[in-house]
Parts: sequence; C-alpha cells; structure tokens
Amino acid sequence: MKIGPVKEVFKNLFKKPMTVMFPEEVVEIPERNRGRHHLDIDNCISCGSCAKICPNRAIRMIEAPPDFKEKYPKTYPQVDLGKCCFCALCEDVCPKDALTLTTNVFLATFEKEDTYVNPIEV
Amino acid sequence: MTSVKKKYDASDFEMFFGPAHPGSGNFSVKVEMRGERVLKATADPGYLHRGFEKLMEYREPMQNSVLSDRVCVLEPLQWNLVHAEAVDDLMDYDVPERAKYIRVILAELSRIQSHFIWYAVLSLGTGFMTGFNVAMGYRDYILDVFNLITGGRVYPAGYICPGGVRKDLPENAEKKILAVLDKIEYMRKFASTENLAWLSRFKEVGILTKEEAIKYGATGPILRGSGFVTDVRREDPYEIYDLLEFDIPVHDEGDAYSRFRVGMEEIEESMKIITQALDRLPEGEVRTPTLKPIVQFRKANGETYIRNELSRGEGAFYMVATGEKTPYRVKIRGPSFSHMIPILERLLTGVNYADVPAIYWSLYQCPADVDR
Repeated sequence: MKIGPVKEVFKNLFKKPMTVMFPEEVVEIPERNRGRHHLDIDNCISCGSCAKICPNRAIRMIEAPPDFKEKYPKTYPQVDLGKCCFCALCEDVCPKDALTLTTNVFLATFEKEDTYVNPIEV
Repeated sequence: MTSVKKKYDASDFEMFFGPAHPGSGNFSVKVEMRGERVLKATADPGYLHRGFEKLMEYREPMQNSVLSDRVCVLEPLQWNLVHAEAVDDLMDYDVPERAKYIRVILAELSRIQSHFIWYAVLSLGTGFMTGFNVAMGYRDYILDVFNLITGGRVYPAGYICPGGVRKDLPENAEKKILAVLDKIEYMRKFASTENLAWLSRFKEVGILTKEEAIKYGATGPILRGSGFVTDVRREDPYEIYDLLEFDIPVHDEGDAYSRFRVGMEEIEESMKIITQALDRLPEGEVRTPTLKPIVQFRKANGETYIRNELSRGEGAFYMVATGEKTPYRVKIRGPSFSHMIPILERLLTGVNYADVPAIYWSLYQCPADVDR
C-alpha cells in the first residue's frame, strides 16, 4: 500500500477548513470590492457624467423629494441596481468623488423599490 | 432524450450531449449512434449568443472594456487585455511600464485559474469528484487576489483598460500574490501526479494528428498537444513577454492526455513568468497621465488586428475606427470556435460513447467564446 494517501488524510485532519460558518463568521471583503452605491449629495454638482458613462444606462438624473427641493434644487443620480453591472465607471468619472461604491454586497431583497439607490433616502 | 430513427432499428438512435448536461456548458452536440459507437456528431452552438460585436458598435471604448470581460467567463482578464491592446494601438497610447507588468501578472494568474477549471471539468467529466472539488477550491485563492486588486472576484469590470490599468496595485498585493503562488504549486503537484484512472480514461483517446490540427485551425494547448511548437507570446510578443524567460510545453501524442499535460505544464511556466514580473516590477504611473476617464475614438482612424495567447488558444480583436465616438466595426476571434465545431465533430466520429466526455472536455471548451 502506498503511504501517500494516508499522509494526506492526516494532514487534512488537522487543517483549517476552506469555508467559514456564514452568519457568525464573514470573509473579509477587500476595500476595493464594488458593492452598493453611496451618494454624498452635498458634494454632487449635478454634472450628469455618471449617467452618460454608465454602460447599462442604470443611472437616471432625478429631482430631490418635495421636502428637500429647496435645499437641493438640481437633479441628482438615482442608480437602478437591477440594471447595474458594478463596473465603477461612475465612481471613476465623478469629478467631486460624490458617487462611490461601498463594500456592501448584501443586496438581496423582496421589494423592487429597494433596488434603487436614491439621492436622498427618505 | 432518444428518438427512434425512420428505419425503427432499435440499435440506431440519436443522443443529445448538452445543453442541459451538467458541465457541458451552454453547448450541445447531437450524436448519431449505432449501439455504443458514434457514427456522426453535429455540434450545435448558439445557446449563449449575446451579440458583443454589434453591442460594441454602440458603446465607447471604456464601456466596451467592461463588456469585454463577458466574452469568456473563465478568463475575463485576458479578454480585457486583448481589447485594451486593440484600443491602445488605434489611439497610439504609450502604456506606462508598470502597467505593462501588472497586465502580464494578472493575465498569467488568469491563465492559471482557467487551467484549474480545465482540470476541474475534466475530473467532473470522468466522475473524479475529488479532483473537481480540490481544483475549484484552489482556484478560489486566485479569485481572492483578483478581488483584492480589481474589486471583483470573477469580473474585473475593465480593470485592464485602454492606456494602462484602472488602479495601482494595493499595498499588500505583491505579498498576497507570492502567498498564492505557494498554494498554486501545491495544486500543480496534485494535478501532475500520475493517476491510473486518468491514464485509462485519457490515454490514446481522441487522437488529433499534427496535420489535422493545422488543417482545422487549432491553436494554443490543443495544437501544442499535437506536437506543434507555437505560442503568440514568443512569435509575436506583446506587452513585456519578449523580456521574460519561459518554455513552451509541447507533447507529440495528440491524444486527450497529452493536451491535458500541456495545460498542467503551462501552469509552471506561468508561475515562472509571475515571479519574474514581480521581481522586476518598476515604480511609476499605471495609466497614461493625460488620459481622461472618457475615452472616445474621435482622433482615431484606421483598423487594427491584435492577437494574444489566451489560455484556450489564440484570441484576437479586429477593430475599425472612423473618427466617431464608438468603433465602426468589431470582430472577435474566439479560440474555442475552431476547437468546438470542426475538431470536435472530427474527433467524435467513430469513438465509443463513453469517450465522448473525455474528448469533449479535453478540447478545453468555452461555449461563451464560441458564440460571443
């Protein structure tokens, strides 16, 4: 009998497993991971570059909700995550670094409204 | 699944290998059989057609860069590289030296993880589930590096873009790549061990002679497995491949086992390339500094044909620009097209049905780049 497989079995017995127990343990997500968008509306200058460069046309420039219209009179990007391919070209093109992609990857939802990232979350 | 032919001869029937077969990918082969013997095989592509060539005519180069990932799911960074080189050539961009090194490191890591998938699907096709699990597990370490550098595990989203790369390597990237090379070395040894089950399933099965391989347009590991020494990285060097030292593994037998051996030996050569590139990695810019985020073909006029050595063979981009925002015409040459249609049909004729999976997966198929 060859000794190789037995050696391998003993090695694997004392090895850490490749997987983690998910809800309690989470794999560390790198800083560059492209997840859910975040808009810093005070920095946004409403140039619309993000809407122009988006390959999937997932970004639409919309007005702020009525209560905030006085403070934010221009149009601001609304991201449809259902269409988004998470390429982060909008982040690269933004001249004021207002639109960024966060490391949040937990995007599953039951409501269609939750798939939109609005300029002001009411 | 089976249908009785006109003659109602019970020993003659047709079988569909795919598209719903686990592991066949979105590709189907119609096999006409008499008993256990295959009389004729007809490849049936088109299940994964997404029309990239036409889509790219409506998008700007940076947006196309994102799209070019999707040409082949298993080697997105290499398709990124071919696309970026085609745009660089049309727009006359000088790519910074550091960017060239980063491009090569990522392309070779992508080749290694693609070869791991090859090992995994070969194991899956022959019922060797341990091989599948181990190879996919070790591939995950490489995907972690991609996530660290490009921000995506599988899709880099145009990380290798016209004019260089989108971001510089993060601080701990070099250390992490070296750590992953150790893991790769373990997997390479695991895959290179002579295995009786593998030998009996792949040896002297699906023999493709050198003359036939050239006639049917084979490239990459399939052609090298038939004993023809060829490699675009050596013959038509791009990026920094002319400065690096590496061998071209070749096997003469032309059977499924020799094709597989070529692939596994290429992993070692890729590791050599990565180590050399990391040693010589220069400092500096990673993207042409004058470049704006939005790239358009306004000043470009003309056509280009750029070919690269992908993990599956020779992949190429033909691109025409006529001074508009978007390219006028794009043609993508996928290496799997000639492997999966003429060569597969030729090799399957006259074999035993049990050998069909072994031959099918030994051709290193990627249905995504057959259909594009």
